[in-house]
Amino acid sequence: MTQKNSISLESVDTRSWFSRNMAAIIRHGIINLFMIIIILPLAWVLIMSIKSRPDAMRGDFWPRNFDFTTYAYVFQKIETLPINLWNSIYVTAGTVFLTTICAVMAGYTLVHMRPRGGGIVVTALLVSLYFPTRVVSIISIYEIQHSLGLINSTVGLILPYVTLNLAISILIMRSVFQLVPHEVIEAAKVDGAGPWRTLLTIALPMARNGIVVIFIVNFVTAWGEFLLCSTLTNDQEARTMPVVLAGAQGGLGQWTWPNLAAVYIIVVTPGIFAFALAQKLFFKGLAEGIVKG
Amino acid sequence: MSYSNTDGFDARAARSSTLWERMRSDARTWVFLVPALAFFIGYQAYPIFRVVWISFTDYQYLTNQPANWIGFNNYANALSDQLLWTSLWRAVLFTILFLPGCIILPLILAILIDRIRNPILATIYRVVLLIPAVIPSTLVFVLWKWMYNFQSGPINHFLVKTTGLFSLQDAPQWLGGTALTLPAIAAMEVWWGLGYHTIFFLAGLAAISKELPEAARIDGANEWQMFWHITLPRLMPIMMILVVLRFGSAMAVIDEYLIFGGFNRDSPTYTWTILMYDQAFKLGLWRQGYAAAIGMIGSVAMMLVMILLLRIFRTKG
Repeated sequence: MTQKNSISLESVDTRSWFSRNMAAIIRHGIINLFMIIIILPLAWVLIMSIKSRPDAMRGDFWPRNFDFTTYAYVFQKIETLPINLWNSIYVTAGTVFLTTICAVMAGYTLVHMRPRGGGIVVTALLVSLYFPTRVVSIISIYEIQHSLGLINSTVGLILPYVTLNLAISILIMRSVFQLVPHEVIEAAKVDGAGPWRTLLTIALPMARNGIVVIFIVNFVTAWGEFLLCSTLTNDQEARTMPVVLAGAQGGLGQWTWPNLAAVYIIVVTPGIFAFALAQKLFFKGLAEGIVKG
Repeated sequence: MSYSNTDGFDARAARSSTLWERMRSDARTWVFLVPALAFFIGYQAYPIFRVVWISFTDYQYLTNQPANWIGFNNYANALSDQLLWTSLWRAVLFTILFLPGCIILPLILAILIDRIRNPILATIYRVVLLIPAVIPSTLVFVLWKWMYNFQSGPINHFLVKTTGLFSLQDAPQWLGGTALTLPAIAAMEVWWGLGYHTIFFLAGLAAISKELPEAARIDGANEWQMFWHITLPRLMPIMMILVVLRFGSAMAVIDEYLIFGGFNRDSPTYTWTILMYDQAFKLGLWRQGYAAAIGMIGSVAMMLVMILLLRIFRTKG
């Protein structure tokens, strides 16, 4: 009798532990499954970049020997690599710089200077978001670049790149500047500050989070742009790093798998780092930008 | 008030003053819009109008012949071409494959993560989720091109060497224009957008007050009823925005198809965007007039569906 009781008590205890935690176990299990699916492909590339060559041929996930020299090797052996990386860097920097300036000025003006016809501008920007402009306009962008003598020119890519996210960037800055009280701008003006000084010293610091958002959005787009770059340039020397990687056939010659993987890690790291650093500001800015948009 | 200032209030006051002062005030304001408008008009608005005009001509890029106005001939030719219909259908097929996964999976994941009370775990999950979102597009495609590689890709390595489910001969051919190509690309797109969309839904879930579910629970509602009657209706606006945006991006995919499929007309990746690109930059003398017509047909068809979706959602919500 006593024995029976203790057993049933035990079983009640076990069952309640499970019923209390079963939902949490399943929940964490499913979430972690998703996390693994997200991380596995990236982990594969990272490990591939430090595999020894025989291990890369064998194809097992975890190598028997590591070889960290691949990172130095790719810079010595792949001649266009530094050029392509440099192309990526200055095209992206130019694009981000110009788009940010355009978006900040336009967003500020549309909110706090209330230009006549501002409504038309906002409508035009909104409409452009719903039209596959990027795909269709490639035909006449080629023509424009040709007439400007910018076919096969890397710097020339900056011009069409700026417009890739221009509309959304302006709209984000517009909703961020809407959070800056108009009275503050008014007060600055009464104190004798001109429109430039008001923008730079009063409004801009208050719009910092929004600038982080458009900075990251434009960085990611410009850094990984494919269609315009592969259409408007012909030579490998004129192209950006991701476009060269997209054309590389894996496994042969200078593009053995560890080489490809090492270049990939080099190219993908700056974005992840930039995001990790600005992560907190990014989430804040995203919230501000979405409030109105 | 004697200065015609650039502020809106003063501009309104200036409206009663002289025409000259009004123009000066407008000009000062519009100076700030010039950089943005120069890019927007030069590389976005003008190209679209130019493409519309080209689509009504027999313009071929590689000839010196002047373009002639031929009315709706390009449109008539394109619409009577079976290939255009096939290519439009392929884009629709891809959208059907892609849309459910890119909405439902993030929704489930967001609901699960929203209940994590451990702040450290919650932050780790969120950061991992956003890693794919900060990988630039082309690098995502390159990564998955390697994943799907027939001989040395890790997916087939797993299926053949690790699990032995397939032999080297009948291992799945993911890319290269097989029937598996569109699902494979759709899976990649879902992977890419998973974190970003989940974060969207999490923002929506955070906005739902905690008292409402509590009250419902006291009234005896079960988990499923609470999801169906409380959570889902409040997430609807976010879902609708995602559906419309993702529909637009899925119908107009081009980079992925260029990288994974190329210009093989039998490949399921040969959609209207690739057909347009092929005509404009690859075939013959670059018949850009015809290509422009194809681009316009695809875009307008797509926009009509998007407007329809917005209408439906607006009447529902």
